[in-house]
Amino acid sequence: MTGPLIARRALLGTALAAPFIRPSFAQGSDPYVIGTLFPMSGPNGEYGKLFTDGAALAIEHARADGTLRRPMRIQAEDTQALPQQGVIGMNKLVNVDRAHYVLVGFTAVSKAVAPVGDRAKTVMVNGGAVGPDLAGLSPYFWNVIPLAHLETQAFLPFLIRRNLKRIALVYVDDPLGDAILGLLRTELPKVGGELAGTFSIPRTAQQFGPVAARVRQARPDAVYVASFGAQQAQIIKGLRDNGISQPLIGYSALSISSVTSIPEAEGVIFTSQKFDYTGGSEITRRFATDFKARHNADPGTYNANYYNATRLFALLARELERENAAVNGDSLRATLLRVREFDLVGGKGTFDDQGNMSAEIQVNEIRGGRVVPIA
Amino acid sequence: MTAYLANLATLVAIFGILAATLNFVVGFAGIFSVAHAVFFGLGAYAGAQVALQLFPDALLACLVAAIVAGGLSLCLALPALRVRGEYFVAASLGLQMMATTLFSEAKAFTGGIGGLVAIPRPTVAGVEVGVLPLALAALALILFLTARLQRGAFGRTLQSIRDAESAAEALGKNVAAAKTLAVAFACAGAGIGGALFALHLSFVNVESFTMDQSVLVMAMVIIGGTGTLWGPLIGAILLLSLPSGLAFLPFIPATEVGAVQQIVYGLAMTLLMIFRPAGLVGDLSKGRATA
Repeated sequence: MTGPLIARRALLGTALAAPFIRPSFAQGSDPYVIGTLFPMSGPNGEYGKLFTDGAALAIEHARADGTLRRPMRIQAEDTQALPQQGVIGMNKLVNVDRAHYVLVGFTAVSKAVAPVGDRAKTVMVNGGAVGPDLAGLSPYFWNVIPLAHLETQAFLPFLIRRNLKRIALVYVDDPLGDAILGLLRTELPKVGGELAGTFSIPRTAQQFGPVAARVRQARPDAVYVASFGAQQAQIIKGLRDNGISQPLIGYSALSISSVTSIPEAEGVIFTSQKFDYTGGSEITRRFATDFKARHNADPGTYNANYYNATRLFALLARELERENAAVNGDSLRATLLRVREFDLVGGKGTFDDQGNMSAEIQVNEIRGGRVVPIA
Repeated sequence: MTAYLANLATLVAIFGILAATLNFVVGFAGIFSVAHAVFFGLGAYAGAQVALQLFPDALLACLVAAIVAGGLSLCLALPALRVRGEYFVAASLGLQMMATTLFSEAKAFTGGIGGLVAIPRPTVAGVEVGVLPLALAALALILFLTARLQRGAFGRTLQSIRDAESAAEALGKNVAAAKTLAVAFACAGAGIGGALFALHLSFVNVESFTMDQSVLVMAMVIIGGTGTLWGPLIGAILLLSLPSGLAFLPFIPATEVGAVQQIVYGLAMTLLMIFRPAGLVGDLSKGRATA
């Protein structure tokens, strides 16, 4: 074997090994590792940035306030919103990065990583997916976002007050859509409303002309869109382009910029957690002000949810640091169940035995590309 | 770190099974299927249902998965008997799209888009075992069978069909039987991979069995070297470990991690196919464009 060949192979070997070599830290200054399992690329990459921006601001605030003795750092893994990539990322976070706390989003990824986190006793917190089947996945799987059926339930009195009684539902045929369908079927008649028609669509559908024609025939007062991601904008555009002039309504997934920025979304009404950024608590106002200063844009629901998820870790870990207790999945969970109520963006967040947060719901309208609370 | 590498090795072994079995039909029989994820999915759902409804015996789950996927391989074999080349690619594409829809809609069997959750950990003879040794054993068995079949009369028949189907038929080879058997073997193997995948993840849903997955497995075969024994396994190792390795790069900002990884990953693949067009293990003299 020639000298240059050996040198080349040695260089190649070193280069391949380099990513796995980590600097060692003294135990006392080890940062708390906040793992994130978000789609950072692909069609849902828009969400990953929204989620991360919220978490990053919470870390900055905790550092500025001296909330914790040790710093926090984000360790990001790209899931592309796919379960298989999520499991690979979760295994890395748990076994290599020794993450103390993992932020997750998207229903399928959440379900796929829950067994890994459960076995490792690592707390996983969802602030983005709202499928009702996410409740109770594991004692270590918590939700800091009211699940979709709770949002929809709170929406009904508003709809009746607005005289939007006949509702047509355009829904993705998945657990989220099924849950909203089931709720509208049972609860809408109880408050004096009526389900005028239900229109199931595949998750990958992009053309909505035929659906719009059937919606028009149903003569609804409003059309509820139960989808998520970029498809929502396509549905809204498809319905408007095909002559649907009735109000379009939905849930918190509509707060993303790919929806709010299109002209067809003007007047869309949707629910989300209650966030009063001007007259709310000091924590809420500070979040809104600093977020706007940093990103030159108003914060959205997902920014706030992942801010809350990260802030929740800081509050729990602070309690444990005061007791000189170890910060791990079991101690975090025990503290959550002991304290139960936390000051978060939007107000008090209260957690049930399964780690699901309940919060006040507000109704928003998209006006001029902005999300404006109206009730 | 060990647990992380074990998880990655398990996925590499499972995708090695998939790539090796796809290579059997693509590389040896010349049947270019882009529907391999369908049989991976059928095996995954069958194995998951065995574990959920009966008991989580890994061998039983793999056996049922192989029977279901191998039995339903006729869906792929029938068009393979009638059309060739790009026409068959189109037919298998249709099968892939139809199956994805069925996986989403057949909620009683697949759980719909929500999938099947809480699949118990696998056991063998009542003892809980990890999926890694099972996947490695299955991979070794499939590679062994592939090597044996490749060198035997059946393998030579398949290669003659691949190179000149009409000539093979004229020489008295039973083309229909050979193609059907090749597809059944490959699909049964993919089914075993699917069962192991379900037992490993404890969760399956349709998002793991889409067209993208079929394309990924095809890429493993092509990058490793079509028609070689070890090439598909090398391709599986490369395509799964490269993005995982990129995740260790510490200097990528959190919000850009996905984009940077995808660019580096895509660039590496492009360079590889420019300099090794016949795949990493393939014949260097093949695949290059000639002036």
